[in-house]
Amino acid sequence: MAVIEVSDLRRTYKTTTGIIRRRPLEVEAVRGVTFAVEQGELFGLLGPNGAGKTTTIKMLITLLLPTSGTAHVLGLDVVAQARDLRKRIGYVFGGDRGLYERLSALDNLRYFAELYGVSGKEQRRRIDQVLELVGLKGRERERVEGYSRGMRQRLHIARGILHDPEVVFLDEPTIGVDPVGARELRQTIGDLIAAGKTVLLTTHYMFEADALCNRIAVIAKGQIVGEGTPTELKAGVAEGQVLEIEVFGVDESILGRLRDVPTVTAVSVEELDQKQLLVVQATGEREVAAPLLAQLDGIEVGRVSSREPTLEDAYVALVGDAS
Amino acid sequence: MRNALRIFFVGGYISYRALFGFLSLWIFIPTLVLTPIFQILLFAYIGRAAGGHSDQFYVVGNAIQYSSVPCLFAMTQTIAEERFWQTLGPLLISPAGRLPLFLGRALPVIANGLVVAAFSLFAGGLILGVTLAGADWARLAPVLLVAAFSCTGLGLVNAAIGLRVRETAVLSNVFVGILLIFSGANVPLSELPGWMADIGRALPLTHGIEAARAVASGHSLASVRGLLGREALIGVAYSVGGFFLIRFFEVQSRRHASLERV
Amino acid sequence: MIRTARLLAFGWVLHFKMLSQSAFDGFLAILWPLFFATVAFFMFRHGSRNAALGPIALGAAVMGVWTATSVSASSALQRERRLGTLELLVAAPTNLALILLPVALATSTIGLYCIVATLLWARILFGIHVPVAHPLPFGLGILGIVFTIGSLGFLMAVAFVRSRRAWAIGAVSEYPVWLICGFLVPISLLPHWVKPISWVLGPTWGMRAIHAGAFGGSAWGDVALCFALGLAYIAFGNLLLGRMIDAARRRATLSLT
Repeated sequence: MAVIEVSDLRRTYKTTTGIIRRRPLEVEAVRGVTFAVEQGELFGLLGPNGAGKTTTIKMLITLLLPTSGTAHVLGLDVVAQARDLRKRIGYVFGGDRGLYERLSALDNLRYFAELYGVSGKEQRRRIDQVLELVGLKGRERERVEGYSRGMRQRLHIARGILHDPEVVFLDEPTIGVDPVGARELRQTIGDLIAAGKTVLLTTHYMFEADALCNRIAVIAKGQIVGEGTPTELKAGVAEGQVLEIEVFGVDESILGRLRDVPTVTAVSVEELDQKQLLVVQATGEREVAAPLLAQLDGIEVGRVSSREPTLEDAYVALVGDAS
Repeated sequence: MRNALRIFFVGGYISYRALFGFLSLWIFIPTLVLTPIFQILLFAYIGRAAGGHSDQFYVVGNAIQYSSVPCLFAMTQTIAEERFWQTLGPLLISPAGRLPLFLGRALPVIANGLVVAAFSLFAGGLILGVTLAGADWARLAPVLLVAAFSCTGLGLVNAAIGLRVRETAVLSNVFVGILLIFSGANVPLSELPGWMADIGRALPLTHGIEAARAVASGHSLASVRGLLGREALIGVAYSVGGFFLIRFFEVQSRRHASLERV
Repeated sequence: MIRTARLLAFGWVLHFKMLSQSAFDGFLAILWPLFFATVAFFMFRHGSRNAALGPIALGAAVMGVWTATSVSASSALQRERRLGTLELLVAAPTNLALILLPVALATSTIGLYCIVATLLWARILFGIHVPVAHPLPFGLGILGIVFTIGSLGFLMAVAFVRSRRAWAIGAVSEYPVWLICGFLVPISLLPHWVKPISWVLGPTWGMRAIHAGAFGGSAWGDVALCFALGLAYIAFGNLLLGRMIDAARRRATLSLT
């Protein structure tokens, strides 16, 4: 039996729109999501902002009730057996918040240890262990308000695994962390798997999902648009080529014309300082640079290069299809 | 030109917020409608328990003292928002009539103070059975106005300090508390030690409260013109002091690039 | 059982620590009632009733406990929301009531600073001496009032779980409770219809117990009633909280962030 089993999970929010006359509005944040995570897996939920990742994870950690569909974690229903489930799962989210600033890291950990029922003697041992694991040993008596973003994140993880949960849910854990800190964090996350835990990670960083995850589900607009190992997802765009073209000032109409070029499957634009980078995906081996450049006639073009497709390209293709 | 337009439109928005900034009913009603009435009731009953002055004494005193809450808080918020929208700097150095511009900012605050004082006087009085004749009200209105103006001057000083100090809420509350003791709202200056009475006379609201009590008991406006004059003068002094203090701190903050305030 | 006690104790210590370091919740909570105490002292000193000032000092001291609690406790959840810890507290395998109660009790414990500050203020500046005729009931009365006010704060925190404006409602309750619980004004002076409200408020009995402990008279009934009402508030708050959390999870209205 899978550790996490999600079946046609849905979540609708009722909200209001308008300032003077408030009209009710129903927003479907999660529209029928189904996936499963096996024991010991590092599973990634990858998607752009607003895709429904956080809503999904909140349902799995029992903070939110699904509107319909079912989810089981460790065989327990997230709705009916929430209290029992909470003891066995850990929740970590990214960002600056979520800690008591005026207290020391040690006090923060002690408090959450109490909340999660980690008993007296066990507490001291566990706290030592997690501090060691996340690399904060020696700094636990300092107040959290003096911590850097990376340190806070590590403390978050420490807090999340204090009670030795079997499943750990990480919601965008490296957001806003500097590259070095983020790399250390990813290492720690990898260590969790080595310790026998199952991890579900949400992120919008493609390379992070690629580097860390055993399997990935790509989610966009509340639905899963692709699922598999990073290799499998890449294979989806592997027969083909990716061209990168530096341009100076293209607009939507030109992008449209580029998309119409035969064998082109996706065109995305990356805004750089003074210029833009067009990333064009095309199927087949046929030479496609020339027709593309023909469409770009009259626009200043810089470097043109071609490369192997990456997970990012697969992601863009999948997400692009959804919109 | 851009600056002038900006001052005008953003200023209008800020002024609107000063009047209706407590736009959420859940803050407005408790803070500006219910609490002053409760304060009046509290002190009226303490007065009865102590064998102090008449109910009317406490109704008038506390109604006016409470106007310091909107005058201080709204004025401080107004200046803080000017800084947030970065119109404060241009406002201070604008060649076009600084006085009318600042007056424009202060007017909604003064109006707020006036309405709060008048309403709580009416409602508190009603509950306690203290009724004033229509003619009394006609004479009271200018007194309340001068008092609100005077206290708004203190609000400017408070706002200035607020530009430098982080805990503005604490400071505003401290000023309200000081006025509670020294303004004669509940303890006439004659019952305070000499030095405290002296401090009280240098603060806003003190003369206004005395004048209001006289007027509510039937005296004419002419008889209290000395008190009103002094109150107005105090208001001007605090306003001018506050203005210069604001300018000083604003210039200083630019020099030290300390515009960041959490 | 032991675990619950540890949890309550630990939460209480931590939140007390945090509140003590806050200028608004700590410093102002102690200073604010002193303004009112000062005014009250002058009023009674010059009043025609020639009332003794000792009871007034005690009443003013206790006012501070309510001040420390009223705003702070009712906005407890708002604070947690702002810190980002609310989600974590709700996601924990512990009854949220057990997490909230220590917070409310910590706010009323800050009130102990107020009591000391006010009595010192009264003694040093006004020469008011407060005797302690029966130390045990006096001490229990103080503990009782801190406990019952904390419980009342807990009830308020629960009642305003969904509101982002909770602090305003806590603030507006400050003066009414001072008046109705007989801190400075004998309840006999209040209108008839107010008296039943006074009787169901724990602080009323705590005040009487402290009074009796200081000046003589039997306090045991008052102490018992004070604690009993506190427990009743906790029980009711616990019930209410469970219902509200369930509803909030369903409608996603807990606004956890």
